[in-house]
Amino acid sequence: MKPVQLFCWHFMAYPYLDKDFDKKESSGWVTVPNRLWDNSKARGLYQEYIDQLAYADELGFDGMVLNEHHQNIYGLMPSPNLIAAALSQSTSRGKIVILGNLLPLHLNPMRVAEEYAMLDQMSHGRLVAGFAPGGGPETFNYNVPSANTREKFWEAADLIVRSWTEDGPFTHEGRYFPLRYVNLWPKPLQKPFPPVWIPGSRSPSTMTEVAKRGYCYFLSSRSHGGETHRAQQEFAAVLEKHGDKYHPFRFGILMSTYVAETDQQAREECEEGVWYFLKNCLKGHLRREGRQLTYGPGVPYIPAAAWREYLKSYTPGRKLLGDVENWEELEASQSIIVGSPETVTRRIQSLIEKAKVGNLLIQFQLGNMPDHLVRKSMKLFAEKVAPALRQTSLKQFSEEYPGVNFEQSAEAVH
Amino acid sequence: MSGQSIEVNGRKVWLLENGQGAPLLYLHGFADVHSVKENFLPFHEKLAADARVIAPAHPGCAQTDENKDVDAIEDVVFHYLEVLDALKLTQFDLVGACVGGWIAAELAVRHPEKIRKLVLIGAAGLFVQGALIGDVFMHAQPEYGSSYATLREMLFSGPDHPMALEMFPDGKGELEDEVRRYQTLRLGSRIGFKPPYFYNYSLRNRLHRITSPTLVIWGAQDNFVPRSHGETYAKLIPNCSELKIIAGAGHSAQVENPEETAKAVMDFLAQ
Repeated sequence: MKPVQLFCWHFMAYPYLDKDFDKKESSGWVTVPNRLWDNSKARGLYQEYIDQLAYADELGFDGMVLNEHHQNIYGLMPSPNLIAAALSQSTSRGKIVILGNLLPLHLNPMRVAEEYAMLDQMSHGRLVAGFAPGGGPETFNYNVPSANTREKFWEAADLIVRSWTEDGPFTHEGRYFPLRYVNLWPKPLQKPFPPVWIPGSRSPSTMTEVAKRGYCYFLSSRSHGGETHRAQQEFAAVLEKHGDKYHPFRFGILMSTYVAETDQQAREECEEGVWYFLKNCLKGHLRREGRQLTYGPGVPYIPAAAWREYLKSYTPGRKLLGDVENWEELEASQSIIVGSPETVTRRIQSLIEKAKVGNLLIQFQLGNMPDHLVRKSMKLFAEKVAPALRQTSLKQFSEEYPGVNFEQSAEAVH
Repeated sequence: MSGQSIEVNGRKVWLLENGQGAPLLYLHGFADVHSVKENFLPFHEKLAADARVIAPAHPGCAQTDENKDVDAIEDVVFHYLEVLDALKLTQFDLVGACVGGWIAAELAVRHPEKIRKLVLIGAAGLFVQGALIGDVFMHAQPEYGSSYATLREMLFSGPDHPMALEMFPDGKGELEDEVRRYQTLRLGSRIGFKPPYFYNYSLRNRLHRITSPTLVIWGAQDNFVPRSHGETYAKLIPNCSELKIIAGAGHSAQVENPEETAKAVMDFLAQ
């Protein structure tokens, strides 16, 4: 039995945009002009961000989370594996979660299998291996055709896991990645293989594929109203259908938080970073302003029948997270939880209680939030929020999921 | 006009048919029958006055089954060879618009003997240095979550053309129209995204194989497939009579000016 696992997620935003960025530029993604990159300011930025993650390890977080993005100001990690390599040497305790490598962008999935195996060895078995198919922006900046992305993704994911578990050399007779000699050197340290996490946005087919393979499902939504709870129920039902049982460590969510001494102080300290994040980093991704590239008819990766279902209930021009106009709307979205340790504890507790989620992937650095505030918030969280969350979640999970061997099943089992 | 599904190599192909006379195979584009509208548009009806017009929906479009093995233009060409066999069409007139024009040109370079006369309208398919085909996928992502103005501008002479507004309205469109639009983009993603965009580099060097009399029609302000592509087709197809420019029209000349476009096609076929 274990309590909720608390991870620190860093997106590594570009924090040096001028105040008029939103007015002047139509997007923060794909086409955002790279003349805005300023070396005189950005020198040392990666070090600052890596150090924040290492600090999370020091503070006792269960792990650090990285992910892959290209050509945007939202996340400066085209290669999360490079950051993971750095963390493998500068930290010693927490898991290193890469969520994930975008498999259809790689010409050969073996490169991912190899780098993940290296990272697992270099970190002494601390890797959580995330695989993701990439979203709309990546189809544009890496020329990935949308229609067969999902198929390519699962072929690549399965080949990687097979290369970790099956003795080589063997031949992979795949549709997209045929390989005559698959023979992985090095092998990963964890047995049978590192835990695999797959992000999804409530699509039943993704849940089914994840369930079939015994992996952990990560809900990639940034807002946590009733939908998070529904996603958990849907995934639990899919697991049942496949003769498996839900438990909290089969499921993870992303949330953002800022903790300070009082509610008032928390809001005052984080507001600039929060608005920078919402208005700049989410422009092109989760804002209706400009052109959102993440989802839509121009990136037709879901089947037409699923698109028809989506169209039935969708409202064109509806507000997305980055379109919130004031603090109250932001609070209602349950996306960024801001307040004193008591407030933040209470709100996250209620989220865990309802969503029965065992992996909380928490973003502390938002937009252009300065280093000292990020660290202060992380420290307060670790000292004043985390203990309470661990205590109550342990009690809740023990009551709701008696007899489940989390340790064993947290590892994906075929 | 009648619609029916035929079985081709284990898959369902949806096609519309109208008119009597010599067979005319019509291959649709992005702003067209099957890709937006369920039924023939005025252009197709006009052609049907003089010919037996057969218009199949491409793989994955309208009620034609999707084929996940379609990965390149070659796969679509072979799909159509099967369709021709199923329809017992050995000699026919071939009219293709936009991405349908690309498929038509690819069929013509492989089987010139099957085609009596060829008409290409705003056809994609060629690589022309310095004149890239537009990024229809980017523009299919609505601005402000609801505006398709730039997509209309790409596919028509301007964003406010009445047919553009009818086929690609802002906000919510007719559900099934929107689904058909999506299906066509999905096929487009299979054949037109890699290499970018909507061309086969080798096609240009094969155009000399086309033997049929050919007419190339282009809207005067095509914002999707630049006019230089029309000029290239007209220059490299040996028996091409002319590059006919439809004044005032954009990429979808057959939709924007059906009278003049249909007349040009019918005059050419009747010659």
